[in-house]
Amino acid sequence: MYWLSGGFVFRRVVSPFHKLDPRVKLLVSMEFFVLSLLASTVAAIALVLFGILLVATVAKSLRRIGRTIAFAGFFATFIFVVNFLFGLGLLNAILYSFRFLAIISSTSVFFVTTSPDELEQIMKWMRVPRDIVFAFVTAVRFIPVVMLDAFQIMDAQKSRGLEFEKGNVVRRVRNMVPILIPLVVNSVIRSGELAEAMESRAYGSTPKPTSLYGMRLRWYDVTVAVVSVLILIAVTLYIYHFVSFKV
Amino acid sequence: MGTGETVAIVGENGAGKTTLVRHTNGLLKPTKGTVFVDGVDTRDTTTATLSRKVGIAFQNPDHQLFSESVESEVRFAMKNFGFDEELVSQRLDWALNFFELKQYRKSSPLVLSGGEKKRLTLACILAWDPEVVILDEPTVGQDALQKEKLAQIFKMLQSTGKTIILVSHDVEFLWPIQPRLVVMSGGKVVADGETSKIMADRELLDGARVTQPQLLRLYSRLRDRPASPFLNVLEARDWVGGRRARQEVR
Repeated sequence: MYWLSGGFVFRRVVSPFHKLDPRVKLLVSMEFFVLSLLASTVAAIALVLFGILLVATVAKSLRRIGRTIAFAGFFATFIFVVNFLFGLGLLNAILYSFRFLAIISSTSVFFVTTSPDELEQIMKWMRVPRDIVFAFVTAVRFIPVVMLDAFQIMDAQKSRGLEFEKGNVVRRVRNMVPILIPLVVNSVIRSGELAEAMESRAYGSTPKPTSLYGMRLRWYDVTVAVVSVLILIAVTLYIYHFVSFKV
Repeated sequence: MGTGETVAIVGENGAGKTTLVRHTNGLLKPTKGTVFVDGVDTRDTTTATLSRKVGIAFQNPDHQLFSESVESEVRFAMKNFGFDEELVSQRLDWALNFFELKQYRKSSPLVLSGGEKKRLTLACILAWDPEVVILDEPTVGQDALQKEKLAQIFKMLQSTGKTIILVSHDVEFLWPIQPRLVVMSGGKVVADGETSKIMADRELLDGARVTQPQLLRLYSRLRDRPASPFLNVLEARDWVGGRRARQEVR
């Protein structure tokens, strides 16, 4: 579980991709998203997946995104089996399951390489109301903390003789209660403490607070953005002109 | 660590104390080397089986309290271990009495104060009477009286022949107990021996970011001093009183 959860959590890495303006990272991630929806052949979707993995390699995050793919692979297999059994054909079944993988990993690329601070800046730039931005970014920031909590609680309960893997389905679900209650209670307490701490640090006292760091598009960012859009157009044209809806 | 031994593990934050403790009931399995509990390799058995023998009270009570009442919180582990009902209620009464939690029997564990929660987690562990008792930072959030009480609990556990492992930063608390002391730093054991000997080594303690107990500091500053350091305040007081009397005679 812990191993898998790394696939969507940001980690500070020095790489050419991490250095990009967060808006460009979002653009690249969205382009991959769009491409995975447009791709209508196994070859095209394989190309999109390859592109995502290439970006992940540049971002030195191939392993982390690999975890996402491993996790999504479980559902992708399910999608493949269902589509195949319902007679959509082998190629279609492969296409749909690959498309699922591509969609998940394209969003994973963005979240793995964008820090909560950058996420906040992007949302402000999109003029999302400040309280919503704050709530969202806090939620993202707290994922690793809550995860750590969950593991500590599991350890404590296992030390009291709780066996998760024992019994039938109902029993197993009931076994989660000793984990979930402390986890939820702790999170509620923590959010209350956070609210008090934020208020004592004058959160909300000015309608338009300034930021210490701003986003600035440099030549490097513009170049990457333009090139990526050109690639998007080229690949789209390739998909629609040369393959022409053939499956 | 032998049966019936009292061992304290001290060391800076991140020294690996809790990681070491997690190996004793199989929460963590060694990737190198082996851990034996009562002759059984921890890799060959489950955490549930090991926990029956090794009771660990973790640092943060909020990470384990979940039941609707204090009573059922204590029952939880005993039910998991399959104790019969008579034994469960017997042990429950003992534990609640001993830790002065009887008046909270039906209250939710979540409304207890920090110190009471801590005591409840100890009650939960001692209720099932494990052979080895491991306490991770037991003195955090306890007032002087409760610390005194904890010290008594140790004496009681020692007298019943339990193996006790204490993980603590509280040198003042450890000093009167005089356990076998293990000092850890950077994931390694840097010293292992008698408390009085190790605590006298300032350099070693500084390296592991452990402070010397006040009574030992007082002792090392005295010019004409008794043969061995004071183990508690009363001893120090008696010595000072005796000295004054000697001076008056002179």
